[in-house]
Amino acid sequence: MTAPNANVVKAIDELRACFPDCPLQMTPDGAGGALIEMQAIPLGSPWAQSETWIGFQITYQYPYADVYPHFVRHDLSREDKKPFGPGLGQGHFRGVPAVQISRRSNKLNPATDTATLKLLKVLSWLRSQ
Amino acid sequence: MAPISITPWRLVLPAEMKAELFQHLFPGDGDEHGAVILAGVCSSDRGLKLVARELHLAVDGVDYVPGRRGYRMLKGEFIQSRIRRARDLKLAYLAVHNHGGTTSVSFSPDDYASHERGYPTLLDVSRGMPVGALVFAKSAVAGDLWFEGGKRAELKEAIVQGNQREIIWPFPVERAAGSLEKYDRQARLFGDVGQAVLQGQRVGIIGLGGAGSILAELLGRLGVGEFVLVDPDRAELTNLPRLVASRRIDAVISWLPKSLRSRLARYKVLMAARNIRRANPNAKITAFKSNFVFEQVARHFVDCDYLFLAADSMSARLLFNAIVHQYGIPGVQVGAKVPVDAAGNVGEVFCVARPILPGNGCLWCNGLINASRLQDEAISDETRKQYAYVADPQVVAPSVITLNAIACAHAVDDYLFFATGLKNLEAERYWFRWNSRKATVGYDLPRRDFDCTECSVADVSRMGRGDFFGLPTRS
Repeated sequence: MTAPNANVVKAIDELRACFPDCPLQMTPDGAGGALIEMQAIPLGSPWAQSETWIGFQITYQYPYADVYPHFVRHDLSREDKKPFGPGLGQGHFRGVPAVQISRRSNKLNPATDTATLKLLKVLSWLRSQ
Repeated sequence: MAPISITPWRLVLPAEMKAELFQHLFPGDGDEHGAVILAGVCSSDRGLKLVARELHLAVDGVDYVPGRRGYRMLKGEFIQSRIRRARDLKLAYLAVHNHGGTTSVSFSPDDYASHERGYPTLLDVSRGMPVGALVFAKSAVAGDLWFEGGKRAELKEAIVQGNQREIIWPFPVERAAGSLEKYDRQARLFGDVGQAVLQGQRVGIIGLGGAGSILAELLGRLGVGEFVLVDPDRAELTNLPRLVASRRIDAVISWLPKSLRSRLARYKVLMAARNIRRANPNAKITAFKSNFVFEQVARHFVDCDYLFLAADSMSARLLFNAIVHQYGIPGVQVGAKVPVDAAGNVGEVFCVARPILPGNGCLWCNGLINASRLQDEAISDETRKQYAYVADPQVVAPSVITLNAIACAHAVDDYLFFATGLKNLEAERYWFRWNSRKATVGYDLPRRDFDCTECSVADVSRMGRGDFFGLPTRS
């Protein structure tokens, strides 16, 4: 299986450094990128669940390619029982049912818009819903 | 470290850098001046090529001082900072000075003696990146390049790239004369020398669909000597109208069982090769029935003299843009758009030819490479099916041979005048746009971000980095 390229490896190292308490599992995607799964991501209000896993793919063209969509636990639900708003839907990640978070980056800057920064933005958005 | 070819080498020098350097070396005082050029290294089947990335001018009396043994020398502090930078960015280090004279130049015995004294030590500091020197006269340049293990190689030629392509040699070179009979009318326009230039050119064409097919035909008929072609697709009945000299049997072999008829359709890249050979049986053609983005395919394009992008994927745009700037190869992106909305209404119909010259703004700076679409293209169909995508209305964008022809003719004509040195030095570098419904020609001025990761000289940029910087390719 083709290993992730140097840019993707660097992205994974940065994720591990930024989320030391969230175990990260990496699987090469066979094209120089990687599928990432991280556990124990803190959630909380407005979500009923206190934590979730999160999965996403960093493709071989990183850092030029956007890192999206992201996937979280399939049973994600709001404390107030309201339905999901825009940007959230039902999908699958690696064959497993999951809630899909679709947040595209506008005007991506490959020098600064890292996978870690994107994950932080996605989590910030999720917690703000 | 990747092996470096030890051969007579070429230097690619941007016209703007040459102008700045010559203003410094030849201010009219008849004296000697110094500088350093840091250059990316490219090894290919054509030998070694250095791509000038940075020019560091040595200030007279401060950085360039009376020598202990020779006439002048670069000061140690000036050398030290530049050789360390070469080491860190994996670039070749070239010390530059000038002599008198015009059409021929060579190093003096004192010059060679200083190379022998200093360059082994510089090679230790550079950790194997080549180290050497250039000496310029007003219309000549000589070079001496050192490698690990005591090997050396001379400069073959410097290729100055701006609006024109200019070649500078150490001494006057008798160009191959004589044109083939069938090119005689063109030769009268450009001369035997121009025709010989085209015969010696290697061009890459990425995408051999409607636009690429026309590019191949035009370039083949001009007499370009060598082609590198790539396209993964086979011909289909629906695209035959746009493929030059295509036949029904290219798309459907009617005597085969139905299940095999289109599966054995001819590859578009082989159809283009067929057309080129019909126009120029002597053309050398390397054709890849593959996607351009694979590492082992993309490597064949890094030592072309010109690149034509006629594929419409974002991945191809990203890689083309990267090769242009990383390897100092001018190129052009051609395309046509016939936007049709869900109701079937046709929008603004236009075609473009966008010359991409290293350092002149790029596809990334100008927002023409979409990061989200890059991601979409990189994931497998199997993965995409699992995603909860918002279904966009599937409208097939039509494509028209006339639009392709306008963009391609403009692009190839521009290439022709560039390669033969006939384009005016002050010619416009705008991007050509033709709007069919308005019947208007427009010229877009490309923007240039000064911290662009592709075309600037910021440390993070791939500009002029050669083989020692990763390309955005797929394993």
